[in-house]
Amino acid sequence: MSESDQEGAYKTAYEREKRARLKAEEVLENKSRELFLKNERLKESYDLLQKQQTAMLQNEKLATLGTLAAGMAHEINNPLAFVKSNIESLTQYHTSYSRLISFIQEVADELSEETKTRLTILFEEEDLEFIRADLPELMSDTAEGLTRVRDIVMNLRSFSRTQSADRGFANLVDGIQSTLKLLHSELNNSVDLKLNLQPVAEISCNANELNQVFLNLIINAKHAAENQKRPTIAITTHAVESDIIIEISDNGCGMSDEVQQQIFVPFFTTKAVGEGTGMGLAIAYGIIKDHGGEINVNSIEGKGTTFTLKLPIN
Amino acid sequence: MKGVIFNVLEEMVVEQSGMLAWNQILDTLAIEGVYTAGESYPDEELFSLVGSISEKTDIPVEILVGAFGERLFKGLAERNPSFIEAESTLKGFLKSVHDVIHIEVRKLYENPNLPDFEYEDNDGDTLLMRYRSPRKLCILAEGLIRGAASHYGTSIKIDHPVCMHKGSNHCDLIIRFI
Repeated sequence: MSESDQEGAYKTAYEREKRARLKAEEVLENKSRELFLKNERLKESYDLLQKQQTAMLQNEKLATLGTLAAGMAHEINNPLAFVKSNIESLTQYHTSYSRLISFIQEVADELSEETKTRLTILFEEEDLEFIRADLPELMSDTAEGLTRVRDIVMNLRSFSRTQSADRGFANLVDGIQSTLKLLHSELNNSVDLKLNLQPVAEISCNANELNQVFLNLIINAKHAAENQKRPTIAITTHAVESDIIIEISDNGCGMSDEVQQQIFVPFFTTKAVGEGTGMGLAIAYGIIKDHGGEINVNSIEGKGTTFTLKLPIN
Repeated sequence: MKGVIFNVLEEMVVEQSGMLAWNQILDTLAIEGVYTAGESYPDEELFSLVGSISEKTDIPVEILVGAFGERLFKGLAERNPSFIEAESTLKGFLKSVHDVIHIEVRKLYENPNLPDFEYEDNDGDTLLMRYRSPRKLCILAEGLIRGAASHYGTSIKIDHPVCMHKGSNHCDLIIRFI
């Protein structure tokens, strides 16, 4: 074999090897691309899983709180009933007691000097005049306090609700519109209201309860946005497959992740002491869960908040 | 710089001047010359190779880099035909470089250090491609565009009024479709 034949053979072999390398690189690139896409899908699944796990933990926590709240409400309700009844009786007894004091004062002059003196000392020592004057206020304050305790217990029962009473077919868009009418004076001239209410199917629900949810969410949105230059609340409705989606958004102060984790927990509030009960969203959560739906929040601090309600079309 | 760029440079030298010339260039620079498409190699190594080829062939570096750009398009198109097949016109292809092709390239290679392109298209017969890259390889980009024009059988004229080599922070490549 001549030298040039030998060179030619090497050149052929070189070109063959080069083609093999290019093929190998192509295979490698295809595998890299597949790996990249699988990795992307894996990342998406992982993120979704983490979100679902957080939601699941939140749901479990709220379910536990619901059971606890139901138990507490029941336990408090029984003694509350007789305490309230006793206070009503005591109010009546006070009238009798007051009449007795008046009578004693009337007949005091007819008593002997010694008895009269002893009576006067007793009145002074026991401060009976003051007690007579103070009792009505004590009674009414106590009655008011008990009414507040009763409201709290009722709220706890609403949060942990399990009954589906008073269900009927209702249109949620009508419910939102009637709630907005109710809030007309509250929202008028202070909030820019943007409505995009697409017609949705009627669903079997407790319309009063759902209206309470809308009311709570709209009032919250108004409070969140009230310090903005142009406070805006947007409400949208639409249907997706077998669900009705309602979104209530504001351009308010938003919430941190920590606050978002807590908002459905009973008695959690960011409002000043005495301004909020911390039960509004907890009750809303209970009502939506009772309807087989979902309530979710998406909030960015300084940008605003969106509450999304998802209710099944039966 | 990714090994595939070195691979195409080798192909060009071997086609134009023969295997002996490529081996001599590697010997002169004392470079092993083993390049794998997906691996990264120092930019300086590519610049040394280009400098050495320029000396050996008496072709000024600027012209050599432009010609390499044209040849590089061919090499990359052979290796990744799907990018070309996806676009039926030169303009469509050029506009897909930043948002489609570079995204795909990032799927294949980690940290490919790709240049940035912005586009201005007035739907007429010109397209402005604004090039930004710390490597300042605008002449290579021009060559790549000419390579693409040749592939699509489209006549073009490229103006380069604003250039990073003249103190700007970007290059304006104005492609006129004739």
